[in-house]
Amino acid sequence: MKFTIYQESRTGKRANNEDRLAHCYSRDSLLLVVADGMGGHYYGEVAAQIAVQTVTEAFQREVRTRIRDPFLFLQKGMLNAHRGILDFAGKHRLADSPRTTCVACIVQNNIAYWAHSGDSRLYLLRKGRVLAQTKDHSRVRLLLEQGVISEDEARDHPDRNKIYGCLGGQQTPEIEFSHKTTLEAEDVLVLCTDGVWSGLPGPILAASLKTGNLMRTVPLLLGQAETRGGPQADNLSMIAVRWQDSYVDESSGSSSLISTKSMSRDTVTTRMAGFGRNPGQKTELSEEEIELAIEEIRSTIQKYSK
Amino acid sequence: MVQQANHPLPPAFQLDEYRIEQQLSLGGFSIVYVAIDSQGTRVAIKEYLPNTLALRGEGRTAPVIAEDHLPAFRYGMKCFFEEGRALAGLSHPNVIRVLNFFRANETVYMVMEYEHGRTLQELIQKNRAGVTENFIRNVFTKMLNGLREVHSHRLLHLDLKPSNIYMRNNHVPVLIDFGAARQTLACDTPMLKPMYTPGFASPEHYNQRDLLGPWSDIYSVGASMYACIAGSTPQAADARLERDRLVPAMVRWEGQYSDQLLETIDWCLCLNHRYRPQSVFALQKALTEPVIAPVPRLPPKETWLGQMVGKLKKSRNP
Repeated sequence: MKFTIYQESRTGKRANNEDRLAHCYSRDSLLLVVADGMGGHYYGEVAAQIAVQTVTEAFQREVRTRIRDPFLFLQKGMLNAHRGILDFAGKHRLADSPRTTCVACIVQNNIAYWAHSGDSRLYLLRKGRVLAQTKDHSRVRLLLEQGVISEDEARDHPDRNKIYGCLGGQQTPEIEFSHKTTLEAEDVLVLCTDGVWSGLPGPILAASLKTGNLMRTVPLLLGQAETRGGPQADNLSMIAVRWQDSYVDESSGSSSLISTKSMSRDTVTTRMAGFGRNPGQKTELSEEEIELAIEEIRSTIQKYSK
Repeated sequence: MVQQANHPLPPAFQLDEYRIEQQLSLGGFSIVYVAIDSQGTRVAIKEYLPNTLALRGEGRTAPVIAEDHLPAFRYGMKCFFEEGRALAGLSHPNVIRVLNFFRANETVYMVMEYEHGRTLQELIQKNRAGVTENFIRNVFTKMLNGLREVHSHRLLHLDLKPSNIYMRNNHVPVLIDFGAARQTLACDTPMLKPMYTPGFASPEHYNQRDLLGPWSDIYSVGASMYACIAGSTPQAADARLERDRLVPAMVRWEGQYSDQLLETIDWCLCLNHRYRPQSVFALQKALTEPVIAPVPRLPPKETWLGQMVGKLKKSRNP
């Protein structure tokens, strides 16, 4: 697999960042997760963290170069996160269980599988157009579909933050699955929270990410969305992935191209935003990862030395 | 561009289980040493030390890395690991072997086999008369075995040139320095620019890096063969794109080498990547084809350029 990827989360004008995002990949499989902890609820941050952590940990545990059944994996991961959040609420005797949206995507064998719950979105962009996007589990979305309100009305609707079907709620979460979607080179996958999409219409997102360096474009887009959010700007989080052909080398203008070809079979690389506020400045390799990389190279040398 | 040079570790320095003998080369990205391991075997050790990001003063062992350079330094380290990974998984007589990999002095080291010999660059400089048709075919056919192995792992070398082809004393070529192979560094780490060598780098290297492929290494092979015969570096591809002043091998040396060899060199040096041999195998096939040598005047090969030039040179027999 070859791809470039960039993720960033911003607090916006809020006191706290309740968004969480992560991606991890093995040699042949890539996982992306974004969760948006419920603003009005207490511990929204924790709910989002539980969601992202549950899914990424499952990935690290289950991936054997690939995930056997991606949809089943996504379903199990999200349901486990849901239970994890309820457990947390129970343990801490929270009157109202925290909740979170969750959108997650697996790419392997050039095929993307995604699932979501709530109003965090996934966009699949091809040649500067939106090829596919998730449907928000929100009341406004329903009203829009029923023709009760227009797009313009939806944007400022008082209920626009009312969502259903998220993780951690009273009901079993509603999880909606995509079709298996084959990716082409240069396709872009975007996972983002409502702080991003409410200020950035899909066509603009698609046109902006058509070409160029994700590492540069994504922060610009987040900046735009943040400005549009005004003095109340919500948390903003986004993961963008540009899918590449196997032989493609670093094009001079793009961010870190990741090639998983030389990864060992059982390695999983994880980037979780965690509590970091400035992922752009983050060190690319942790001490642990350095040790792991060296260990891996040594074992390969051993394997070939006899 | 004024850049401070890094100081190498001093001779007799004990580095892990190795004792350094001397510095072998100093690049922008790394320093290579000759050292002796605990069994007394000579090895080459490559130290990751990008001089734009990490600076080692005289008499120091650990480099000084400014805090805002640390992410880029670590990122470059990732590329160094990828070079290590790529090489560790390759076991081929024509590709340099990695023996060990370790961490010390706040950076990382790759231990490689050390062989007696010299680079092809040195060899052709020393012995111009030795660059015969057979020599070229021999060296490059064997070297291409190694390159084939590299490509079959879906890697590209991306910095092939005579000084990166090491000739063991028994005249077996070995590909060295895969530093560019995984040079996936870009504008977001402007301190670590992609590496290539003008004259040997293909046109794609300059401005269309998404078109890089086996054919890009093949351009470099062609340029290396050309350089061996010419004794100097061919015109750089970016300049060729502006105004191509590279005299085709077929024109320059007709009669001294077989037409078939010269045409093969020109084939590799096509500016359009699609017109070159698309795989190492195709190129090897061309290089191992039986040829009527050494004074080749194959009847159907009457190109107009050939007619114009080479006629006077027929008598010389390399």
